[in-house]
Amino acid sequence: MRGSPLLRAAIAFLVLLALGIPLWRLTHAAEPTQAQTQPAPATEAKAIHLQLDFTLAPRKIQVLHLGQEVWSEDAPAAEIERDLKIVYPDQGVDLQFHIAWPDDAPLAAMRAKLTDPAGDTHEKSLWGKGVVDDVLTFP
Amino acid sequence: MKPFVLLLMTTLASALAASAADPIRVSSFSTILTEIAQQVGGDRVAVTAHVKAGVDPHEFEPTPEDLKTVGESQLILLSAKHMEGYVGKLKESTGTKGTLLEVGNGFASLKMKAESDPGKLVEDPHWWHSIPNMEKAVKIVRDELTKISPADKDYFADRAGKYLSTLDALETWVKLELAKLPRNKRQLVTSHDAFQYFAKENGFTIYPIEGISSADQPSSKKVAEIIATIKKQGVKAIFPEKIENPKVLTEITRESGAKVGGELYADGLGAPDSDAATYVGMYKHNVSAIVSGLQ
Repeated sequence: MRGSPLLRAAIAFLVLLALGIPLWRLTHAAEPTQAQTQPAPATEAKAIHLQLDFTLAPRKIQVLHLGQEVWSEDAPAAEIERDLKIVYPDQGVDLQFHIAWPDDAPLAAMRAKLTDPAGDTHEKSLWGKGVVDDVLTFP
Repeated sequence: MKPFVLLLMTTLASALAASAADPIRVSSFSTILTEIAQQVGGDRVAVTAHVKAGVDPHEFEPTPEDLKTVGESQLILLSAKHMEGYVGKLKESTGTKGTLLEVGNGFASLKMKAESDPGKLVEDPHWWHSIPNMEKAVKIVRDELTKISPADKDYFADRAGKYLSTLDALETWVKLELAKLPRNKRQLVTSHDAFQYFAKENGFTIYPIEGISSADQPSSKKVAEIIATIKKQGVKAIFPEKIENPKVLTEITRESGAKVGGELYADGLGAPDSDAATYVGMYKHNVSAIVSGLQ
């Protein structure tokens, strides 16, 4: 009944261990892991087509997307077009246009025709004199 | 006798001239409208700003001194769209003969969640977060000042025109600044549902969260919902207007991974020594905070 001292010591150790593990877990709760913000769905650059028609050919045209230049032309023709690859989320895009018309030119306009990755075409215009910085939103 | 008549006539003429030169007495119950009145009216108006910068217009109640001033005003400017719950009392108690101009009623309303009952939609009174609305407000105030003092029509038109040009320049600046932010990142999590007009014009989706600005502890379920929304939408920053519940905010940012963005001015202009002391300054401050927070 009494058992050997060695056996009693082993039983006592097991009992302490059995009590100790939950106690240790309670007092050493794991640090909450820093949840990472689920990134916005990664969007790959997609092909678009941009056609620009001017009532008066500018001295310079620059197109920017998210602050980065995606197309620039010095002394472009009155009608120009280009295939571009940009990130194009479902919500659409803002394209920034920097247009420098001749200083002494009258009020001029630019018509931008954008064909999106789905093949749909959207048209927007802007007007200005001299140097113009403006944003067109598509669609 | 003749000198006496001459003296009397001179005195009367002086009094009339002084009266004609007296500025139009304007009472304003919005920091935004105070700026409009001062910009358009120049030295032809004397504006009393009842709601000063830093005062929450939702909580403001006029004092007897305010009512006395209103009673003597020729023009009383109100934001409208239910911002001034005391407007009925104001009309009744002052007996003013002045024009009570509810500027916000001059343009269409958007809806927001009621602060007292988030399940209910009410008119969003924060119309000035739309620059086109601000431009309409300038024209409304200009026209009303002109009705009161037709002789100053050109003066008011000139000053309004200059202020409108400033607002046009601001609108272009906002477009160029927001163009740095992809449209799929335009998600605004705020503790005060005050940016519906801004959101509509600039392609943002608003996720108002109640509980951060309040001393009341929101339920665990509510906090979990907020965290789930932020994670699901991939929102990078949240913009609490004032932090009265830092524990909740800490939990939300830790669990969602979103950071705390800069302070946004929702209810009007900032203190005179702040960068939001003017409308242009306030708008630029908000847009810069949003762009840098969400980029």
